[in-house]
Amino acid sequence: MAKDLTAPRPVAHSLAEIESQLSKLWARAAAAQAAAAKAEAATVAAQAQAAARAAASLAASLAAAQEAGVGAGAVHHVVARTSVLNLVVLAGDQATAKRCAAIIARTASRHASRSLILSAADPEGEPGLEANVEALSLTTATGRTETGAETIFIRACGETGMHLASIIVPLLVHDLPVALWWPNDPPLESHRAKRLLPLADRLIVDGSSWSGNGLEILAQLASAAERRSLAVIDWALLRQSRWREAAASVYDLPDLRPHLGAVRRIDVEYATDHPGDPDGSTNVVRPLYHVAWLASRLGMSVHDPLRREPDGRRVATLRQRDHDVAVALQPGGSELPAGSTIRVVITSRLRGTDLVGEVTAGDRDVDVTVRDGGRDRVKRTYSAPRLNDVDLLSLSVEENAADPVSVQALAMVHRLLGAESSLRRAAARDRSEQGD
Amino acid sequence: MTAPRPPKPPSRGPRATSPGRAPAAPPPARTARELREATVAARRRARPETDTNPLRQGLRLERVPDPCAFVLFGATGDLAHRKVVPALYQLWRTNLLPAEFSLVAVARRPYTDKSFAAEVKASVEKYSRVQPVDEEAWAELAKRITYVQLDFGDDDGFDRLGDRLDELDKERGTAGNRLFYLATQPSQVTEIVRQMGRVGLDHELRGSGWRRVVVEKPFGRDFESARHLNHEVQKVFRESQVYRIDHYLGKETVRNLLVFRFGNGIFEPVWNRSFVDHVQITVAESLGVEGRGAFYEETGASRDILQNHLLQLMALVAMEPPTSFSADALRDQKLQVLRAITTPDYESVRGNIVRGQYGGGWVQGEPAPGYREEPEVDPESETETYVAGKFTIDDWRWSGVPFYLRAGKRLPKRATEISIQFKEVPLRLFRDSTGDPAPNVLAMRIQPDEGIMLRFAAKVPGLGLDVRTVNMDFAYETSFVVDSPDAYETLILDALLGDASLFTRADEVEAAWAVVTPIINAWAEMPAPNFPDYAAGSWGPEEGDALIEREGRRWRRI
Repeated sequence: MAKDLTAPRPVAHSLAEIESQLSKLWARAAAAQAAAAKAEAATVAAQAQAAARAAASLAASLAAAQEAGVGAGAVHHVVARTSVLNLVVLAGDQATAKRCAAIIARTASRHASRSLILSAADPEGEPGLEANVEALSLTTATGRTETGAETIFIRACGETGMHLASIIVPLLVHDLPVALWWPNDPPLESHRAKRLLPLADRLIVDGSSWSGNGLEILAQLASAAERRSLAVIDWALLRQSRWREAAASVYDLPDLRPHLGAVRRIDVEYATDHPGDPDGSTNVVRPLYHVAWLASRLGMSVHDPLRREPDGRRVATLRQRDHDVAVALQPGGSELPAGSTIRVVITSRLRGTDLVGEVTAGDRDVDVTVRDGGRDRVKRTYSAPRLNDVDLLSLSVEENAADPVSVQALAMVHRLLGAESSLRRAAARDRSEQGD
Repeated sequence: MTAPRPPKPPSRGPRATSPGRAPAAPPPARTARELREATVAARRRARPETDTNPLRQGLRLERVPDPCAFVLFGATGDLAHRKVVPALYQLWRTNLLPAEFSLVAVARRPYTDKSFAAEVKASVEKYSRVQPVDEEAWAELAKRITYVQLDFGDDDGFDRLGDRLDELDKERGTAGNRLFYLATQPSQVTEIVRQMGRVGLDHELRGSGWRRVVVEKPFGRDFESARHLNHEVQKVFRESQVYRIDHYLGKETVRNLLVFRFGNGIFEPVWNRSFVDHVQITVAESLGVEGRGAFYEETGASRDILQNHLLQLMALVAMEPPTSFSADALRDQKLQVLRAITTPDYESVRGNIVRGQYGGGWVQGEPAPGYREEPEVDPESETETYVAGKFTIDDWRWSGVPFYLRAGKRLPKRATEISIQFKEVPLRLFRDSTGDPAPNVLAMRIQPDEGIMLRFAAKVPGLGLDVRTVNMDFAYETSFVVDSPDAYETLILDALLGDASLFTRADEVEAAWAVVTPIINAWAEMPAPNFPDYAAGSWGPEEGDALIEREGRRWRRI
């Protein structure tokens, strides 16, 4: 939907004033874009919609939408994009589809892409699909116009919902990377996943939103990543980037670096809805990622995999060089949403002296304190705002999916969750399927 | 008559920069100083495990600056207030400076720590690229500001500075690491460096931390003065401790030029005399001297822009691929280009170099005074505000390919661009077409609208065979929403990390002066120029256009 961003506009008297007004105009547009959780971006200059009832007519609808979008733009200089991709969203239900569409619309000016948002409708009904196509023509700060983003909403009905790959493949822009975004619990062991995952160059998931404690899906994800060489972007891990920077800073002082090889304890406290997390149902994906990241970076191996204690803690024993490292995920009371990390404490011991690094985070800041032999060494607050969904989606398409830090962290998760046994099970299952 | 050519820069002696092939065994040390340098170098080569933090892998910075004191000479000056302190604030705000950091402001005027911090905060509020100022972040940085009043010729003052830095090592944990930033008048550099040497502020003794000095351009005003300045600085600091800053090299697009050339395989095969017709580099400013008339009278466009920005950009375009991205590997290749530029003699200066000076005119819809009417400018001034030249590089890659460089003040717009103009196709198959396709151009816009444009021919849709030239445009702002850091942020962070890749080495400076000094000398011998010779708001004197047009080429319309 077009939106007039120019009013009210005072009269300009010089080039400098015009430039200043333009600058303010676009700053306001950007602010509006960030503030408004609306599907239409403030920069949308033209939008067209078309409806289709069958896959065959989608391409024609898309072309019509593109034409309308370009035609409606006031400026006709089309700028070549350097980063585009196919984004396939397996939304599942309408509410999720709507939420994802809103996030995509707000990232469209940053990452022009063709997005396919798939949801299920009336699984018992007649097979078929319903689709809407939107093309967004985006205007940049310097006034150039470009047809940047296309979104195709597909509602698969009846048995068609079981054959999504047959709908997706013809609609992918050829020779562009494909990102598969599974915003809810991804059924990674399902027949559908086995058909869809090979289509994708990267899989985007959010481990912190999974149902239950999330560990079963996390184990499946880690297993799939290892077996299929699947590039995974997990928002639960991305959210930790601000924690990681702060945790790394514990050892930035040169005289503290030798402690990196002498870690004795890793304690992660996380928020729960119920004190003590009595049924162990709080999602602990984020707390576990902290441990996995530290362990993988600091050359640790798993001695005893993660297990739940009667007091509600989850514990494991790692091994670094010639000493054990005790790990504990501790449920704690907090106003933060359940599953959020409250505190990460890393304790090391060198020549009889304990070094304790503690990291906590708020909405906008991360605090680090380091105590060396009981004495305060570092106390610092880092400005590091919590990432929102738009940031996370943008990072998901920007990040190097084969980032060795993420890959190794996920592999460590696998081992922490008892990888060997699950790998054996998966391998046996693969063998039996091949035999079928 | 031929202008005397400055002697070629001396071959690299022990004091000159090492060529960056670190693994090769150095010759046996002979003097105590060489022995000390060899020991330091050996210690650096064998980086202990504790030098790296594995938790930083994959983060924004895989290394963070060590605890340190940032000693800012000329702290009350314009450069410090406009650029250096806002850059430090931005680095602090984004968590890129260590907690054990101290800003030691040094200048002549009387201030207390608090009054200086209050004054410099007003500058941060005015000049910081991110507004509004984060009060909490500023308060934390302000706590780390110390003001030291001293006159640069005052021995006692430097003694006190040395004592204060030692105290800060204990109070703030700055660990003896010190970056000295000379944001002062060029004439004060030698004296400050001498004083630092007298007090021993340059000493990097075992365990006492590192010492680095950042020197702002201009690095001399001709070949001899540059060599003298280098000599004076190197009497105190080793070359590896010296960071000569040319802020152009910290600009995002300039750094991208390296990625563009050496991160993409498809351009290298055509990046040579077989395919390139010529290269144009333009640094255009719409502004005049902006109250710096006295400074500009002493410099002019050739010293202010040609000797550094233009020749550095030319070197980056023309250099051979370095074997690594280490500071010396990169700078060795730039140096090869600078040394291979044909040194202009008197006749070639007369034929291939044009100077000009703006008179009154209109710029961007507003009247602009002529240069001679600017404050602090001699009404009979012969200082050039425009320079354009044709340069050639005597090497296998570029032999015979002209590089046209131009820079000027009060031109119609502010624009910096490098354009590679490719040769025409060998056979013009489409000569009957209604349009005549122009040769391919690859243009890299440094500022504003940073980006890269490729121009090529395309068929106009329809039954006929009409050909038009079209542009394929990559614009930074549409592809990367992330804010680009200011050049000073990039360069200050690099200096704190000890990465000298984007700083100019002594031999580079001298090689660039070896190109520019004969031009200045030849002009001094020529009859007085007929200034002013171009109107403010135009693209320079007619001779500037004639320089390129007589060879059947044209300046790109920017």
